[in-house]
Amino acid sequence: MSELLIRNACVIDPLNGINGEIMDISIRDGRIVEEVSGNAQVIDAAGCLTLPGGVDSHTHVCGTKVNFGRYMSPEDMRAGRTARNGCMHVTSGYSVPTTFGNSYRYSNMGYTTLLEGAMAPLEARHTHEEFTATPHQDMMANTLFDGNWAIMEAVRDKDVRRTAAVVAWYLKAARGFAIKLTNPGGTEAWGWGEDVSGIHDTVPNFEVTPAEIIGTMIRANEVLRLPHSVHLHCNNLGVPGNYQTTLDTIGLVPDLNKTRQSLYLTHVQFHSYGGTTWRDIDSKSEEICKAVNNTPQVTIDMGQIMFGRTTTMTADGPMEFKLYMLHRNKWSNHDVELETGSGIIPVYYFRKSMVNCVMWAIGLELALLTKNPWQCLLSTDNPNGAPFVKYPEIIALLMSKKLRDQECALLEPRTEHHVPLFAIDRELDWNEIAIMTRSAQAKALGIRDIGKGHLAPGAEADVAIYPLKTSEIDPSTQYQQVIAGFSRTKFTIKRGRVVSRNGEVIVDGANSTIWVKPKVPEEYNLSNDPDFVRKFQEYYTVRMSNYPVQDVYLPRGVCIETEADL
Amino acid sequence: MKVILETKPRKKPRIPIEAETIIPQNFLRGTDITVFEGNKERVLDDLFYISVEGPAVSPDQVEIILRGDTGMIKRVGEYMNAGRIVVEGDIGMHCGNFMSAGEIVIQGNADSWLGREMRGGKITCLGNAGHYCAAGYRGEKRGVRGGRIEVMGNAGDFTAEYLSGGEVRIHGNAGDLAGVELREGTLVIEGSCSRPCGNMTGGTCMVFGKINDLLPTFKSLGIKEVDFEGKKVRMEIFRGDVANRGKGTLMRAV
Repeated sequence: MSELLIRNACVIDPLNGINGEIMDISIRDGRIVEEVSGNAQVIDAAGCLTLPGGVDSHTHVCGTKVNFGRYMSPEDMRAGRTARNGCMHVTSGYSVPTTFGNSYRYSNMGYTTLLEGAMAPLEARHTHEEFTATPHQDMMANTLFDGNWAIMEAVRDKDVRRTAAVVAWYLKAARGFAIKLTNPGGTEAWGWGEDVSGIHDTVPNFEVTPAEIIGTMIRANEVLRLPHSVHLHCNNLGVPGNYQTTLDTIGLVPDLNKTRQSLYLTHVQFHSYGGTTWRDIDSKSEEICKAVNNTPQVTIDMGQIMFGRTTTMTADGPMEFKLYMLHRNKWSNHDVELETGSGIIPVYYFRKSMVNCVMWAIGLELALLTKNPWQCLLSTDNPNGAPFVKYPEIIALLMSKKLRDQECALLEPRTEHHVPLFAIDRELDWNEIAIMTRSAQAKALGIRDIGKGHLAPGAEADVAIYPLKTSEIDPSTQYQQVIAGFSRTKFTIKRGRVVSRNGEVIVDGANSTIWVKPKVPEEYNLSNDPDFVRKFQEYYTVRMSNYPVQDVYLPRGVCIETEADL
Repeated sequence: MKVILETKPRKKPRIPIEAETIIPQNFLRGTDITVFEGNKERVLDDLFYISVEGPAVSPDQVEIILRGDTGMIKRVGEYMNAGRIVVEGDIGMHCGNFMSAGEIVIQGNADSWLGREMRGGKITCLGNAGHYCAAGYRGEKRGVRGGRIEVMGNAGDFTAEYLSGGEVRIHGNAGDLAGVELREGTLVIEGSCSRPCGNMTGGTCMVFGKINDLLPTFKSLGIKEVDFEGKKVRMEIFRGDVANRGKGTLMRAV
């Protein structure tokens, strides 16, 4: 029995309504409890800011495409090298670091739970293997369904129950966590050299539209009672004028769940462009935020970009091809049979480029104009907008108008006429930052009940103690301290153990992988469905019996079982 | 200053030594330098008999001489920016990576990746060079960007892959796929090679020996007299790679 007591912690725990109280936190066997015995190990937080462990609700850190990003960028691997040190493995890389590099850097920033943004079910084994090598964070994987043939056939037949059954089969087979739709229909169309340009375009050969896919999947998601909602990367990413598609998509969403949103829109910054070409691109964040404010069943994340070098990677193949046509640098495109695609391109975001400046401003505007911080989460879509190590800078930008003004002065001068950022005065407070970096994520992902994102007794003992005294620092002027504080915790505690202290990793770590198993009635089990089995044998290059991920790939799997309403 | 490093006999001579620290600028502060033998960090003194002659105030006055069983020493001269290194024998992989100035002379054979992604300076190899001589690293779009690499013997496959500046001269034969993805700069092969210059987008490649399996995407422009080092030589000129805009030049002696 291991016990730990954190004394004098200045706790902000938005899910339990605690805002800046000095209190003690007791931990026994990896869980938070009411009190511990006198023999407990004591950590003195000395009045420093103490938050639940960070949760990143959309990041790309593991999986085949991340790995492809690694080996197509040797120049990236030369950056950020650290030698082996005690229990720390060798790390390297900046925008696509090694798995251990990701894990240690997240740990130093106080993050303890990550959601991998996109996992192709066919390539799930590799993702799970990399999860095991990301030792300090509990991992979950969004499973890609955007171009899944079985799904599209069920959607075409307008059969929500069959769609739910297909989702249930694939989630269980891939050990996935939630439904991810990346440019729904578009990646399948890309297999034929085409793309969809709006949510009412028809996908070639399947006679379905993205709107039908999204609508049916949202309903199937609720039928299966999955913890997270549908996780959507809208159509038309990065196209000037695409905000209309995003607004149309938000307009589709029914309110089906009382405890959380019904649709999670990811990296909305890339989907909020007005104008018609790259020359007259402008920010439509006001329209998007208005729609989000009026639609409480929707949650978005920022997808902030930061200036500098990074690597873009997404399952959205056609969009990566368009990027390649702009950059003419190395690139890759990839097709996953019957399921989805992907693409990778290294990029550099310049302050000299008006387009990049507008993108930078839109991300911040989304966070500042969304009234309810539970509806707009902080993310960079790591590494597409920027590597996650830039989060502290984004926090500082959101908390300080002065810092924003300083940065705005460096932007391309024309930017001012294309974005409303210059006129926004709002500065977020500590509580809102805590919401946007952990509590809202835990709520949106539906992992509050398994003890993530809060610090009430019974919760997982994931705690981050930052060297920041909220009563002494004025974030609107002392933003440098805010950046330094959020970059390196005093202590990061994972499941009741101190894993990182003042930026130094001190234990090997053993994470768990959280996955979802929807329980469906026997008549909806597709392993016995002759039509599904026949098509599987006909179209896939793997046998159905070899397809599901074996338990050996999840040495510490945590299964959330849901009872489907079928 | 002359630094002579002579290898000491090792129990397991096949274990490679990672010696990216053996560059002239590091010896200005003495010979207190560490290298890796396998996964063990060693001081230079453990692996070499060291003798230092004369003083030096800047790295370009430093000459390093490597002697003895040097064939398993890798990454010598990585990021070197001045001075001179003489290897009195063979050298291991990745010699002269990213070097920007100075000179490396190898009196024996060089292993693979000689002078990869070099920026400037000069490398002379009196023996043969391995695969990927003067190439870019895997995934990198620009390889050697400047300087000169001269190999008196033969070179292996993928010689001067992604060459984008500088000059590479092979006096013997080159292997398969020499000069693929060539972008800028000059590649001269005095011997033979096979399937050269696939997907080249610029630059010049001259082959004085035989070309085996010339790729079909090269378009002949006829035979011309070309000036080469003061002499007139008759060469058949090809434009290519036509599959990728065809702005490069490949010449074959006739």
